Amino acid sequence: MLSPDEFFEPVEDWERDTEYIAMENKSFGRDVWSRFCRNRRALFGLVCLTAVVVLAIFGPMVSPYPYDGMDVAVKNQGSSIAHWFGTDQFGRDTFTRVLYGARISLMIGFVATAINLVIGVLYGGIAGYVGGFADMVLMRIVDIIYAVPAMVYMILLMLLLGSNVYSVMIGICVSGWINMARIVRSQVISLKEQEFSVAAFVMGASTRRILFRHLLINSLGPIIVSVTLMIPQAIFTEAFLSFIGIGISAPMASLGTLAQDAKMQLEIYPMQMIWPVAVICLVIFSLNFMGEGLEEALNPKGKR
Amino acid sequence: MDQPVIKIEDLEKSFKVKSSSFKRPARVRAVNKVSLEIKKGETLGLVGESGCGKSTLGRTILKVHEPDGGKILFEGTDITGFSRAQMRPYRKRMQMIFQDPYASLNPRFTVGELIGEPMEIYDMYTRAEREVRVQELMRTVGLKPDHIRRYPHEFSGGQRQRIGIARTLALDPEFIVCDEPISALDVSIQSQIVNLLEKIQAERQLSYLFIAHDLGMVRHISHRIGVMYLGYLVEVGEADEVYSHPLHPYTKALMSAAPEPDPRAARARQRIMLEGEIPNPLDIPKGCPFCTRCPQAKPRCREERPELKEAGGSGRQAACLLLEG
Repeated sequence: MLSPDEFFEPVEDWERDTEYIAMENKSFGRDVWSRFCRNRRALFGLVCLTAVVVLAIFGPMVSPYPYDGMDVAVKNQGSSIAHWFGTDQFGRDTFTRVLYGARISLMIGFVATAINLVIGVLYGGIAGYVGGFADMVLMRIVDIIYAVPAMVYMILLMLLLGSNVYSVMIGICVSGWINMARIVRSQVISLKEQEFSVAAFVMGASTRRILFRHLLINSLGPIIVSVTLMIPQAIFTEAFLSFIGIGISAPMASLGTLAQDAKMQLEIYPMQMIWPVAVICLVIFSLNFMGEGLEEALNPKGKR
Repeated sequence: MDQPVIKIEDLEKSFKVKSSSFKRPARVRAVNKVSLEIKKGETLGLVGESGCGKSTLGRTILKVHEPDGGKILFEGTDITGFSRAQMRPYRKRMQMIFQDPYASLNPRFTVGELIGEPMEIYDMYTRAEREVRVQELMRTVGLKPDHIRRYPHEFSGGQRQRIGIARTLALDPEFIVCDEPISALDVSIQSQIVNLLEKIQAERQLSYLFIAHDLGMVRHISHRIGVMYLGYLVEVGEADEVYSHPLHPYTKALMSAAPEPDPRAARARQRIMLEGEIPNPLDIPKGCPFCTRCPQAKPRCREERPELKEAGGSGRQAACLLLEG
């Protein structure tokens, strides 16, 4: 018969440490980042967007041509070494104008989204946290604003404030924050019943602390994702307004006005239309890919 | 000295339930005229079926829910009508341990931030001092202080419950509502947590309201036990007394359902099987709340509602008409 010694061996010292955590000490942000990088499309989106943003900021500064400098001698040219994207009907350098237009479009996209973000998060957060009658009133106001098509607000604002960057931004913001408010509200409502928010309340935490440090920080995932989808939406809306001729007016340029200017000569010089439209597509694709990637990275349970 | 830490009188709490927007909202009466007191260093165990209002009672005492009636006295001060600002100094002294160690810790906080948060709220100590305090607390509850920068999802259920306990202790409370602190844990871990709670109680003279449905564990930790049924407190008494000689028919049935480790004793014991379901709390029976399932119910029980009265001596109380004779 075998003795127990032959079946068992003594436990080594390190194996006794049952409290040991094998996982690397990773912060939440780094964890999300590593998952984001594993998604090739999202990474591609990030690289393209960064490139466009850098070019839009610094390109017009470096370019030898001013965005509104006309030169009739070289009008309607194709691509060349001097004019990479050719020139338009007034001999303006299309490359410079596309970069400048991208700058305006991106600025409108980011600023409008930032405004929507702040209003939407505060509005939805307060409605969700306070709840009851106040929530009912706040959400009915939202329904009323939402009931009128966004385009109506924008066109009315253009009439009132004239066609410029600010009226476009305000137009986008009038009803743009509503989706954000709804998302944040539903998040806050489900999170405030969780025990950790009750725990914070029992500790004596202030409403502001519970709302910001406990509820909103845990809604960050859906908020970030909807931001990455709001930016292309804003850019698209601006391009659309400019294309139908009620957005930004000349000599200022956005990607939408460039497409609008090229419309008249579309049959003769199609390249003038293709460049700005290509940049719009690139930016919107990039942002959508990034949004998708972030959604996956922030939601590890939804991983394939 | 003999003043109870917590004393509640006729506490009531009900919730509106909306079934459709056209009907008048009905009210679920979760806590009905409950009176009890807890002395310094004492543990009062609260048992009862799911949905009998144990947790609601615990949360109403801490004013997570505003009470609809009755009084809550904390060391003689009536805190029932206190506003949130007035409650602040009292919040520090009465705390809560939660059932679910997964849901009760904010997933975006590190252990250090979690345990340090209560001190941050009351602006106690400097940052550096707080960190030292947090490490001390971690040692008290048996966590490794080097894990201070870890996130809660990296810990096991038992470890997380310790984090929750450390957070509760950070404010040096005098009274803690333990809302089923062990029911989400493995049996082997349960005893560790219960021993930890007992150790801390002995060191700091804490008072607990210990809510659970594991009858064996409640008997082990509690000095006195309260039994709840449909939002009513039906019996209170010394833990061993209530276990060995239950007075109320519901308590008798409940105790006979507790698992008995000795098979011979288990065979000898008579189990009382209750018939039917708990009545809908929207529609509590008119007389004794237990009359629909009570094996000894008399016609009188369906008419008259019994009150919690002295019964059987040694400070025991029960709410049953049969005991009044």
